[in-house]
Amino acid sequence: MTEVITVDLVDREGGVREALDEGRGATRAQLFRRAIIGGGTFLAGGLLIGGLPKLALGAPSASQDVEILNFALLLEYLESEFYIEAVAKNAIGGETLAFAKVVRDHENAHVAFLKDALGSRARAKPQFDFMDTTSNPDKFRATSIALEDTGVAAYNGQGPNLTKPTLAVAGMIVSVEARHAAWIRRITGKPRYGGSAANYPAPSVLEPSLTRAQVEAAVGKTGFIKG
Amino acid sequence: MTYLTLDAVDCDGAIRESLDAVRGDTRAGFLAKAGLFGGGALGGTALLGLTAEAASAATAESDVAILNFALTLEYLEAAFYTEAERMLDLSGELALFTRVVAAHERAHVSALKKVLGSKAVKKPKFNFRGTTESESKFRATAQVLEDTGVRAYKGQAPLIKSNAILGAALAIHAVEARHASWIRDLNDAPPAPTAFDQPLSRSAVLAAVAKTRFIVPGKSTGGRRTTGAASPPFTG
Repeated sequence: MTEVITVDLVDREGGVREALDEGRGATRAQLFRRAIIGGGTFLAGGLLIGGLPKLALGAPSASQDVEILNFALLLEYLESEFYIEAVAKNAIGGETLAFAKVVRDHENAHVAFLKDALGSRARAKPQFDFMDTTSNPDKFRATSIALEDTGVAAYNGQGPNLTKPTLAVAGMIVSVEARHAAWIRRITGKPRYGGSAANYPAPSVLEPSLTRAQVEAAVGKTGFIKG
Repeated sequence: MTYLTLDAVDCDGAIRESLDAVRGDTRAGFLAKAGLFGGGALGGTALLGLTAEAASAATAESDVAILNFALTLEYLEAAFYTEAERMLDLSGELALFTRVVAAHERAHVSALKKVLGSKAVKKPKFNFRGTTESESKFRATAQVLEDTGVRAYKGQAPLIKSNAILGAALAIHAVEARHASWIRDLNDAPPAPTAFDQPLSRSAVLAAVAKTRFIVPGKSTGGRRTTGAASPPFTG
């Protein structure tokens, strides 16, 4: 690995480092800063912008990492805006609202992280229309479950397509999405989950994964993205 | 948290392992260095059997080692929940959680054993030291085991060479995170305590497991209760 990018270059606000440093010594943080989104210089102020050859489809590469991280950024924008709006509308309450506030902050942190990592290559945030899914508690919970489950499946589907250092970073996000998914599933279905394993916080032995096309089709069906 | 005191472990860093892997280093000696048993009565390498067979033509030796590491953790989780189901009179949603997660962990064991075939390590003998006999200890231990399982898979994922094995590891990783979230919520702990989950290296996980003294020398009893002052009361 040559010319590995550092968090110091991408983590302008220090928020990523703060998250990574939490409960940990400086050594781990320093290692992470060296490792972060490595495998190339695609983040380094456009040094290699336009200069990377298009590699064979599916072979992990720095340029493919950029495409995948932008795909992830779209999903994180979607989640982040969904929770921001739901909290702002203040029409959900109780533990659902408490969940929404925590998860909003997490998704915001994921957006900030990916934007910083991508730098000038980060896609712009689209316009969203969540209709009444951010004000109707039942619709909010059902939508949250769908978004979180889909997020996990989307990250898992892309795992093998990422370079190893970027996979290491994506792995830090995907399990948090899985925790969100289990949490909102519990809020929605406890304590009996309608007697159906499909409603459990952990509904399957192995987590399903989705291809990018499948995720984009599913997101498209929601009508949430207005371009 | 008293059972797996990860904070006390001097981690050498999962990310460093990732970098080593990228650079082509191997970690063949990790088990010998980690010392699975606190007392060192038996060599961890010998017990886990990771050096007993050469890598197959199809699977990289490092991937076999990772799968056997994962299998050891899954054996531990499966035995823990299976024993808790038997020993504790659980009710309500905690009983449901235990039943569902026990079945998941047993299925993970089966899946990993199937992938490994003859290279699969044998199930160790366990002594859960009362954590499957007290509901409060069971709850706390389950939470730490699941959180640690998530960190363990996360630390290994970037080291896996085979895409098929990586896909399976990621599929298990997310399920462990769901378990962790579920038991945390049942314990009134934050289900998702941070925006970014941290990885943990193999050696740090093994050191944490060693501290629990849940894995003991000897052969598995297959879950039968054992008796005698010198024997652990219950083993997986």
